Amino acid sequence: MSRPEVPTVVLIGQPNGGKSTLFNSIAGPKAETSNFPGTSVKHTHSRVNIEGRLLDVVDLPGTYSLCPDDPTEQVVLTHLFAEKPDLVVNVVDSSTMSRGLELTLELVELGYPTVVALNMVDLAERKGIELDAVKAERLLGVPVVLTIAAHGRGVRELLDRVFEVIDKGQQPRPPSYSDDVEDMIAEVARLMPPEFPVVSNTRFTAIKLIETAGHACGRILGQVEPGLKEAVDRVRRTIEGRRGVPAYEVISAERHHQAMKLFEESSRILHGRRLTWDKKVDAVLMHSFFGYVILAAVLLAFFFIIFMVGSPLETLLLSPFIKLRAVLAASLGDGLLYHLAEGLIQGIGGGIAIVLPYFLPLLFLMSALEDVGYLARAGFLLDAFMHRIGLHGKSVSPFILGFGCNVPAVVSTRMLESHHDRVLTSILIPFIPCSARTTIVLALVAFYLGPLWAMGFYAVNIAVVALVGWAVSRFMKEPSPGLILEIPSLKAPRLNSIARKTWLQIHSFIKLAWPILIGGSIMLSLLTFFKADRIVNDILAPLVVQGLGLPHDLGVTLVFGFLRKELSLIMMLQALGVDYQNLMTVITREQIVVFTVFISFFIPCLSTFVILWKEIGRKWALVSTGLSIGVALVLSWAVRLVL
Amino acid sequence: MNLLEAPHGARLRVVDLAGGESVRRRLLALGFHKGDIVQLDGKAIFRGPILVRNCASDTTVALGHGVAMKVIVEPVYEPA
Repeated sequence: MSRPEVPTVVLIGQPNGGKSTLFNSIAGPKAETSNFPGTSVKHTHSRVNIEGRLLDVVDLPGTYSLCPDDPTEQVVLTHLFAEKPDLVVNVVDSSTMSRGLELTLELVELGYPTVVALNMVDLAERKGIELDAVKAERLLGVPVVLTIAAHGRGVRELLDRVFEVIDKGQQPRPPSYSDDVEDMIAEVARLMPPEFPVVSNTRFTAIKLIETAGHACGRILGQVEPGLKEAVDRVRRTIEGRRGVPAYEVISAERHHQAMKLFEESSRILHGRRLTWDKKVDAVLMHSFFGYVILAAVLLAFFFIIFMVGSPLETLLLSPFIKLRAVLAASLGDGLLYHLAEGLIQGIGGGIAIVLPYFLPLLFLMSALEDVGYLARAGFLLDAFMHRIGLHGKSVSPFILGFGCNVPAVVSTRMLESHHDRVLTSILIPFIPCSARTTIVLALVAFYLGPLWAMGFYAVNIAVVALVGWAVSRFMKEPSPGLILEIPSLKAPRLNSIARKTWLQIHSFIKLAWPILIGGSIMLSLLTFFKADRIVNDILAPLVVQGLGLPHDLGVTLVFGFLRKELSLIMMLQALGVDYQNLMTVITREQIVVFTVFISFFIPCLSTFVILWKEIGRKWALVSTGLSIGVALVLSWAVRLVL
Repeated sequence: MNLLEAPHGARLRVVDLAGGESVRRRLLALGFHKGDIVQLDGKAIFRGPILVRNCASDTTVALGHGVAMKVIVEPVYEPA
């Protein structure tokens, strides 16, 4: 076996198994992030040097099986099948080992060199499970190492075994299915034409063909040719005829029993030492009354902390940009150069000083809630309410993320299995007030009309999300498959994994949104320089002046609200020619509310629009935009009538 | 009976997974199979989801009202 220059090792495991913790423990905090080709769901890779030997370590998203349904999990498959890593480290949560082993058995069938890390053995011990790695290793035919990744325990031995397998190769022995199933697998393998795109070996490919026809995994395996497809269909019918359940269920059930047997033979249950404190905490967290009280408190604290951190940080970060602008204005005069520089500064300054102060703490707290396991519990509590708008509890976390920025929120809808849920959630996300819009609400409504008005604004906003969701779901008849959500055991938050998650999200936000922010700002400055803003104002006058009752000069700010929502605020002052403190001299309270309502809703910002287009297609991106415009008009007129 | 009608805290055996292919596949992937022993751990208000724990793997999932209706169970009588 020829040894590759730098071997690639991928970490694969079910969600919440401590895979990323193990990755951090091996790779340290210096891990680079990268985009996976064709999608932007992240995986992390890092080149590490272990006593002079190099290793490329890749951390993939968690997956329950090798026949996954949701797009995030399919990334794992594509990577595994297309990139052919030199070795797979299968990370198994040993406290729920009998289920984790089902994926392990699939990996052994796949037949790539594999090492199993039975992780979080401390948790298993507290649950009263004693594990025998030697026995498990003998039964699986691949090295098994006990680890506690969070403390670095067993990681050294794991790496030793990894190098041992890379150097010497490995012959895993996948367990057999019942004879009749094995016969069927052999038949499909025999009928496979020589040029068929086999993944790893013919047996694995045959099993997956039987398990997955008409399913996403089948598509990834390549277009099955007619002759073989017929054989696979026949085999599937034969199995179903004999066992009375679909073939995929037969195979899955046999694997399930193999896994349970393996677990029983390689572990000992010590009774009377069952972990109980987290069950008690969970009973309160998911209580039908206290659960909601805690949820409300958590969310309130969440936003309180964000604004406590965000607003002083914003002032602090914004001041150098304001000074720089003043210096440039003095030295460059009012020429083209000044306008270009001003646009650049506004763009960079907006990105750093307006978005990050709110966005960063939000992402951090969000990651913390996810890490502890609270998001899944919030999903459980809010599921019934989400059903009213045609969704279920899994959409809760994209929505919460939307309060920071709609862009990563739309990307995160990939964790939803059904296309219907993904589209509906993505359409609704632009109605969630992101940090940029919150900045406007705070600066205009809270500052000039009082905090109660701002809270009222939020309440109306959430009602709008619910109403639009309810209305749209009337038209999207396809029923949502319903909630199936794992509730992971509660974990103590760990700073480095939270920081890493936060960094991954910030990184993708910066890469996607900043070029648009900066480009938009420069364009705006150029428009002002060439006096094109007047033309825009004239064109929009019927809407702005007659429709909304706002000053003529504000037309151009609406256009630029499309580029960057918070730009509208700066633009508004610029367009009206006043500074922030004197705003009320040129505009009424009513106009402030109308302006804020309209700016908040009338269109998703450009970055959101682009990501909607990319994620759910042009049609739905336009539907979402149309809905936003409609809602903005109706609400603004309603506000004019009421006030 | 289905999971919605099952008593809280009792040990139950999964007799059948009704429902469509995607729901069944998801349940299988999350480690819920016919014949498994499970326990109902909680119920949310307003026809919300239920919490069900697989006693073999000690994993817990939340199942929406509609999904829970399709999981058919029977009580397990344990020797006292």
